[in-house]
Amino acid sequence: MFSPELIGIIGLAVLFALLMLRMPVGIAMIAVGIGGTWVLSEAVSYVRFVPYLRQFKSLLWENIANYDLSVVPLFVLMGYVAAEARLSSDLFKGLEALMSRLRGGVAMAAVAACGGFGAVCGSSLATAATMGKVALPELKSLGYSDRLAAGALAAGGTLGILIPPSVALVIYAVIVEGSILQMFQAAVIPGLLAVLVFIGVIAIQVRINPSLAPEPRPMPADQRRVALRRLLPVIGIFGAIILGLGFGLFTPTPAASIGVFAIVTYGFILRAFTGEGLNIAGLVRAIRATAITSGMIYLILFGAEVLKGFFTRTGLPAGLSEWAATSGFDPMIVLILMLIAFIILGCFMESLAMILVVVPFFWPTLIALNGGEFVTAETAAFGMDNDSLKIWFGILALIVVELGLITPPVGLNVFIIASLAKDTPMSTVFRGVLPFLGAEVIRVGLIIMLPSLTLIVPRLING
Amino acid sequence: MTNVLGRMADIFALAGGIILLVIVAVTTTNVGAFILDRVADGFGADIPGLPGYEDFVRLAISAAGLMFFPYCQANRGHVAVDLFIAKASYRFRRLMDRLWLAATAAIAAFLAWWMVAGLLEKQSDNAVTGVLGWAEWPFYIPGIAALILWALVALSQMSGGSANV
Repeated sequence: MFSPELIGIIGLAVLFALLMLRMPVGIAMIAVGIGGTWVLSEAVSYVRFVPYLRQFKSLLWENIANYDLSVVPLFVLMGYVAAEARLSSDLFKGLEALMSRLRGGVAMAAVAACGGFGAVCGSSLATAATMGKVALPELKSLGYSDRLAAGALAAGGTLGILIPPSVALVIYAVIVEGSILQMFQAAVIPGLLAVLVFIGVIAIQVRINPSLAPEPRPMPADQRRVALRRLLPVIGIFGAIILGLGFGLFTPTPAASIGVFAIVTYGFILRAFTGEGLNIAGLVRAIRATAITSGMIYLILFGAEVLKGFFTRTGLPAGLSEWAATSGFDPMIVLILMLIAFIILGCFMESLAMILVVVPFFWPTLIALNGGEFVTAETAAFGMDNDSLKIWFGILALIVVELGLITPPVGLNVFIIASLAKDTPMSTVFRGVLPFLGAEVIRVGLIIMLPSLTLIVPRLING
Repeated sequence: MTNVLGRMADIFALAGGIILLVIVAVTTTNVGAFILDRVADGFGADIPGLPGYEDFVRLAISAAGLMFFPYCQANRGHVAVDLFIAKASYRFRRLMDRLWLAATAAIAAFLAWWMVAGLLEKQSDNAVTGVLGWAEWPFYIPGIAALILWALVALSQMSGGSANV
């Protein structure tokens, strides 16, 4: 008869096979979770299938009726409402007014706007799609090369996953039972670093090859005035959300609710006075888009819960961490291997599903490698206690997950930008993101070598 | 997918969206009361927040979250990995698509069945929320309706066109 651990490994293989056959991710997780538990109940006496099934009386409802996770659809709605209210466009135009004097300045403004929009939109794909629609036509009409324009936007779109508040950060914090607020605080410096690094990559590229960007043409004074005036409320709203969260004035659900309230109110006022902004039809479109994204996220979250129940019963995550603890591997090498595994999996798995499936395996292993549940910073293998490790690893994992969005062969952000820039072939977009990909590898290296880049903000704020 | 099912999925999504907007309004009021209370403290006055606010958010989001499922299905929003069978024959992709739609419908029906059992159990246990003291079982009803509609939408897509193959 098969051992429980072997059944767990077979379950994992079946899950990947189903995913490769294009079964929806959430459905595959539920099917493997329930099917695997049935197989397990036939093999071992400690798992009984009928009592297991009874948990489905309340499992789905309890999973969704979760106050911490209520922030997910609210952040999603905030992003879509901000796009409908044209805040994304105002943000880009305002930053363009500030940066258009520089060579490559409009592309830099597009990347900075991606970072800013990422603050109100928890999703990288939505950030790439929204800013792509806003900035791509402008970049093309100004004469930017397709490679630089599409590459900057595909890479800039990845900022959405990390710049707080981010849906992925919320979900990671829930899985590892960490603080959502501390995750947000920890993401601030790595997120800003990414914006600066991407802007630096553009500056270096246009310096080496000036034909990538046109001669800088400062925006005419009257347009500049309007753009800067429209930028102020955007900075006010986005800034209030980020600072309110960062300094612990709001918890995530109130922050998201106030964000939606402020953006909807501002959008309607703008509409009343200028004819632009948000109307009822725009709000309905935002709600429909929220329904699709939130439905997808909730199904994957529930699927992960069912799958976790199966794997825990097989003892596979615990067995893996025990094996890692006694194997004598260098913890840092194991950490780097885990990050590489994320990048490889990111080539064909949706980022959220990847976090939900893989982190429950990796996290107990990291705790074991660090020295166990009760280790202190002085004796820990990574030189930090488990709470700090939780934050540091989470930020690293999310950065490499986002790399999957711009890495061949899948690179979902690249697909989105290629579909928006209809006459730009996919290969050109991939060539365009390569310099940004290189910069990302350097950023990951920096964050591995200097954990304080991640840990300093939560330590300063929370003591 | 029939027009009726598509329209119902849309109505469910919009109803879920309206619930989200109610959560936004209630939360903003609660935060406003909290800020005013801080200000009023200086004058010896007291402005209470909304009692049981978190209970309300939990119950409301349980309805809204599940009500998004049918619309997500109707728009093929549940993510899948396209890469590996993108170059397979049309017949194979169509077969897989139908198989997964059947699996989706079966899982939705399975979850609806158990949620009905859950509703009956909550009702017989008189389960109520911690602070508000509201009965939990009525909040199962929108979820059960949404799961049944989700199953029907998936089934109807099996006989539909080839847009997603």
